[in-house]
Amino acid sequence: MIEARAMSKRYGDRLAVDSISFEVARGEVVGFLGPNGAGKTTTMRMLTGFLPPTDGTAVIDGHDMLTDPLRARRSLGYLPESPPLYPEMDVEGYLRFVASIKGVPRGERRSAVERTLERCGLVDVRRRVIGALSKGYRQRVGLGQAIVHDPPVLILDEPTVGLDPVQIREIRTLISNLARPAAGGTQHTVILSTHILSEVEAICQRVILIHRGRKRVDAPIADLVREGGGLESVFARETARDESEPEAATV
Amino acid sequence: MRHVGTIASRELRSLFVSPVAYAVLTLFVLLAGFFFLSSLLQFEEYVLRMQQFQYFDQLKELNLNDHVIAPFFGVMSVVLLFMVPGITMGLFASEKTNHTDELLLTSPLTMWDIVLGKYLAAAAFVSLLVALLALYPAILLLYGDPEVAKTLAGLLGLWLVGLAYAAIGGFASSITRNQIIAFAFSFVLLLVLWMLSFLADLGAAGGAIGAATGFSDFLRWLSTAEHFESFVKGLIDTADLAYFAVLVGTSLLLTKFAVESVRWR
Repeated sequence: MIEARAMSKRYGDRLAVDSISFEVARGEVVGFLGPNGAGKTTTMRMLTGFLPPTDGTAVIDGHDMLTDPLRARRSLGYLPESPPLYPEMDVEGYLRFVASIKGVPRGERRSAVERTLERCGLVDVRRRVIGALSKGYRQRVGLGQAIVHDPPVLILDEPTVGLDPVQIREIRTLISNLARPAAGGTQHTVILSTHILSEVEAICQRVILIHRGRKRVDAPIADLVREGGGLESVFARETARDESEPEAATV
Repeated sequence: MRHVGTIASRELRSLFVSPVAYAVLTLFVLLAGFFFLSSLLQFEEYVLRMQQFQYFDQLKELNLNDHVIAPFFGVMSVVLLFMVPGITMGLFASEKTNHTDELLLTSPLTMWDIVLGKYLAAAAFVSLLVALLALYPAILLLYGDPEVAKTLAGLLGLWLVGLAYAAIGGFASSITRNQIIAFAFSFVLLLVLWMLSFLADLGAAGGAIGAATGFSDFLRWLSTAEHFESFVKGLIDTADLAYFAVLVGTSLLLTKFAVESVRWR
């Protein structure tokens, strides 16, 4: 469903992402890990087509982001690092706008918005202006815009950042449900980035760890726990391995 | 380009919940009233003076179109120079500060959906301003008989000037994330474009530019003032219409490149 083919991103002299390749199968939830500045956000932006890769390409649901961008983007829901919100709009109006530009047919927009309001716990604030909402609610509206068109592929950049523990649990449950829906629902494929290792253990089946723009680990969590001594030690080992390397790929 | 309307209507709704739209509308109508009244009072004074001195020939020459409406439209075209950048400064710049550019650019929208949608919203607002402006000469119809066709030609000129300003202002907004910079940049661009004909006139008087009359003609052709004035005189020339079409088209094209360039940096 999601495929990165030797994607690289170069900013001037600095190689932010160095030829990353991976595949994510339908229904999988993959945790995207790495220290700050490892290239996670850049990689996600390339997957969503926001940033074009310097080399390589991303394929979403069988559509190449470079040659067939409109169809690739239609299959995609994306929550960027900062939720993309219009502070002056109300929650419902905003979700209706997003549903429309994501290509939800006119007749289905109302039900799509209703379903999203319920899924994200936004029913009580549907008429509130987004700018007046708390950070937690704004994050939920951000998640709402990613799922309102029920896309098969979800790319979430730190979906639980800034939330309180109760909200974090709700969002995690929501993401898990998206990957394993009740009969008849769309089965979503999810990539999410996070700093919280326990979050990865709670909802992901697989981990991709990048460091200094390179892929270091790509393995099922079960394997890492069994052989690597748990996520935390794998993370520490992989990101500490070559502190002495030249600065070329750092941020 | 199925989503032009969606983008445009969202933009308009956001504009009308922001204080900017109301500030611009209020200031514009107040200024229009002030300038309309002052050209009217000046006209009255002319009439009185010419009656006093019994200059009956000149008195016959006086008319509402040339002595009230034309100067009024002239001043208002300068007022638009200040007002339109206020409307357009947020068009693209605010998307960057809201991070909504990431939403728009990862949605199945074409670049023209975004650029044209936003332009249409700004153009609709400009049309509202010019429509409000039409009320003032309409008052004259109650008390006098200005030439309606000539007045309408002038209004058409103002409308085209406003539409061109909106396109240029949108471009200024697309190259920065700071609304103040967008405002200042578009204001300077518009002012220079307006003033080019003055520069050409200075040259024609014998300056360095006057030596090359071709260049001076070119400057005059580029200037918005030059094309606007022929509308106020009641002339609707396809060359002038084409000028505004080229100006709008070029600005929209540049805007599209600027929005795209964010991706390719």
